[in-house]
Amino acid sequence: MVIVLDRLTKQFGAQTAVNALSLEIPAGQIVGFLGPNGAGKSTTLKMLTGMIAPTGGRATVCGYDLQREPIEVKRHVGFVPESGAVFESLTGLEYLEMVAALYGIPANAARARIKQFIVFFDLSFETLTDKLLGAYSKGMRRKVVITSALLHNPPVVFFDEPLDGLDANAAVGFKTLIQTLAREGKTIVYSSHILDVVERVCHRVIIIDKGRLLLDGKPEELVAAHHSGTLEKLFTQLTGGTELERRAEDFAKTFRA
Amino acid sequence: MSPVIPPPVLPEPMPTPEKTLRRLFLTLFLRGRGARGLNRQGAPKSIGEKLALTLVLYALFGCMALFFLRQPVFALAIYLHAMTFVFLGMFVAASAGEILFNKEEADILLHRPVSPQAMLWAKIRVLVEVSLWLAGAFNLVGLFVGFGSTGNWRFPIVHLVSTTLEALFCTGCVVLTYQLCLRWFGRERLEGLMTLVQVLVSVAAVMCGQILPQLVFRLDHVLNVSEISWWIGLLPPAWFAGFDDAFAGSARLNSWLLAVVAVGVTAAVLWIAFNKLAGDYETGLQALNETISPRLKKKNHRRWLDRLVSVPPLSWWLRDPVARASFLLTAAYLIRDRDVKLRVYPGIAPILIIPFVFLLQNPHHHDGSNDIGFGVPFSGLYLGLVPLLGLQILQYSQQWQAGDIFRVAPMPGPAQLCHGARRAVLCLLALPMLLLTGLIVWLLRGDLSQLILFLPGLIALPVFALVPSIGGHGVPLSLPPDAAKSAGRGLNMIGVMMITFILAEVAALAWTQGWFRWLILGETLVAIGLYSILRRALAKMRWPSAE
Repeated sequence: MVIVLDRLTKQFGAQTAVNALSLEIPAGQIVGFLGPNGAGKSTTLKMLTGMIAPTGGRATVCGYDLQREPIEVKRHVGFVPESGAVFESLTGLEYLEMVAALYGIPANAARARIKQFIVFFDLSFETLTDKLLGAYSKGMRRKVVITSALLHNPPVVFFDEPLDGLDANAAVGFKTLIQTLAREGKTIVYSSHILDVVERVCHRVIIIDKGRLLLDGKPEELVAAHHSGTLEKLFTQLTGGTELERRAEDFAKTFRA
Repeated sequence: MSPVIPPPVLPEPMPTPEKTLRRLFLTLFLRGRGARGLNRQGAPKSIGEKLALTLVLYALFGCMALFFLRQPVFALAIYLHAMTFVFLGMFVAASAGEILFNKEEADILLHRPVSPQAMLWAKIRVLVEVSLWLAGAFNLVGLFVGFGSTGNWRFPIVHLVSTTLEALFCTGCVVLTYQLCLRWFGRERLEGLMTLVQVLVSVAAVMCGQILPQLVFRLDHVLNVSEISWWIGLLPPAWFAGFDDAFAGSARLNSWLLAVVAVGVTAAVLWIAFNKLAGDYETGLQALNETISPRLKKKNHRRWLDRLVSVPPLSWWLRDPVARASFLLTAAYLIRDRDVKLRVYPGIAPILIIPFVFLLQNPHHHDGSNDIGFGVPFSGLYLGLVPLLGLQILQYSQQWQAGDIFRVAPMPGPAQLCHGARRAVLCLLALPMLLLTGLIVWLLRGDLSQLILFLPGLIALPVFALVPSIGGHGVPLSLPPDAAKSAGRGLNMIGVMMITFILAEVAALAWTQGWFRWLILGETLVAIGLYSILRRALAKMRWPSAE
């Protein structure tokens, strides 16, 4: 197993964000990691990338213990955070070369890899060299962040809302990219609220709420077992997103009044 | 024909995280973290030019060392190190929080294979490097003065070494303070503590660098190291001055003792900050990345603020709903937002210190009679800088893009937003500062009647508070933080400071000559006129195009 979570827990004061979560994910799988806002998805991903420390349980990534060997874990994962944060006063190329250097990739080798991503994302090299990241559109910045997560060829990649800001073509291209990466043995953990994309792309879906595991299985099997028709309906059933039409009607009524 | 042997291809050196991080943090420091320039040439140039200008100003300010020509090494050195201590302390205190604990940086760097120690070292190196540029610029003239005064070629070298030690000491102290706070108070309170630490360090640096050396010279008439009192040994600038005097001056026992303290304390601070407590740095970085909701605390703030605006006289003053909303927004950011707090409070803290220096200088008249001097009216007038500086800083926020909502809302111009922000700054910053300054005056002079000399300042305060809104500026939280270092802001400050000095001199003169009441009358009339003109201009202001 490439990723193993054993009763992984995170508490912020009295509030439990992730509650004894246990999971195992093998190599080459694309896992949709779902949950409503505040379910603990981003906290779990941040723990698995060594960004925040767990308060209980343990986890291994590629056989490395998260708490004892955090640097090795980081060397083997790529992460696209939801914020899409970058250093805005660097150019795209400066940023990517800086990231490559942190993984020990020499400048020339890094530049060759960066050029491949430029072709894939249909970016121009001039954009990457002449403009500061602060002047990039949200979609372009997201492409740079995705590139920075894959530059060191990690066996495990965590994506937190990766399609945010990408245009339709880039989004389609991205879905194809992660399927290709999974075929080559990379493990992809994909957290998103766009459930139809998750349903089409992921081999397996994990739904959590209030830090606890609700469901784990293949999307089509889960949908069939719960007679919900689509993953979206199943998700709303499980996470309390019911009576949406009535609520919308009530909301509209307040304006009429 | 011999075959051409191609030159051996050397393998490309592997980049090290330490070097990469150092280069990154230096670039970020020079360009600013959130540059919104469109091209590569724009951003570095802007910050680089500002830095160059700052260095030139520091070098010019360093010319004050010429007054110490032909003085003993210790007197020159204590002046140079005291001033360097102020500049470095303020710089490191203002920059360290942003450089050491940057929230946005967590999402970019914390999942990379870099140890927290490597990150800490890279940041410290950049802080020390820039500190040394500033210290070097300020001490440049002093090096020649020391050489010229003593004829000792060792002075420039020794002084460079002691200044480097001082830079390391300042940086180490600030880092150590943060780490001790982390260790003692826990990660949950880090954000609030960082602001407090910065304010305290800024104030301590100014106190140590400005007030105490003045006391040293006033009370002890220190020109020679052998004449100093024991308590001077408690002041860090004196240790580094002792270092200079030991190696390039009188070389007396006192100097050697101070030099040993300088080296020993600096080494100890560095060892504790970067070795013993380095592990706490990781905890601090992770803490910033965790989302803890201080629900109860925020609720209390809200209730307190709501109560404040719903009772007279504030409820009368904030009748306009837009001004009221702007007041609440500004107050909330002054109380809660780390980014705003880190810039506002360390920015205004020294304002309280400068009048304090003048109050200390002028307690009595030369003939022995108890005269008010320049200090009291100056303290009152200098308070005008609080709303000026506060409002200027409050225009900038990391969430500046959210300010677009002001333009979308059906308001013809920014006037009411500016009024709300101005009133919040007057209530939450200027009023407490006024009370505090009044208390200081009372404690130092022991005469409540002298507080009447605050009147020129109080009359000028509403006018000074309108200055940042000239030209439609002063809308709270609507500009990116990197735009904060504009030259215009400095010009406003210099203008108001000059008016402050002139008015304070005139007020002191009016008091002694017996025409103080006429001054107050005249000033009131001028202030009312200016206030009306500025308010009318602000009311007519329309939103400029948002490019």
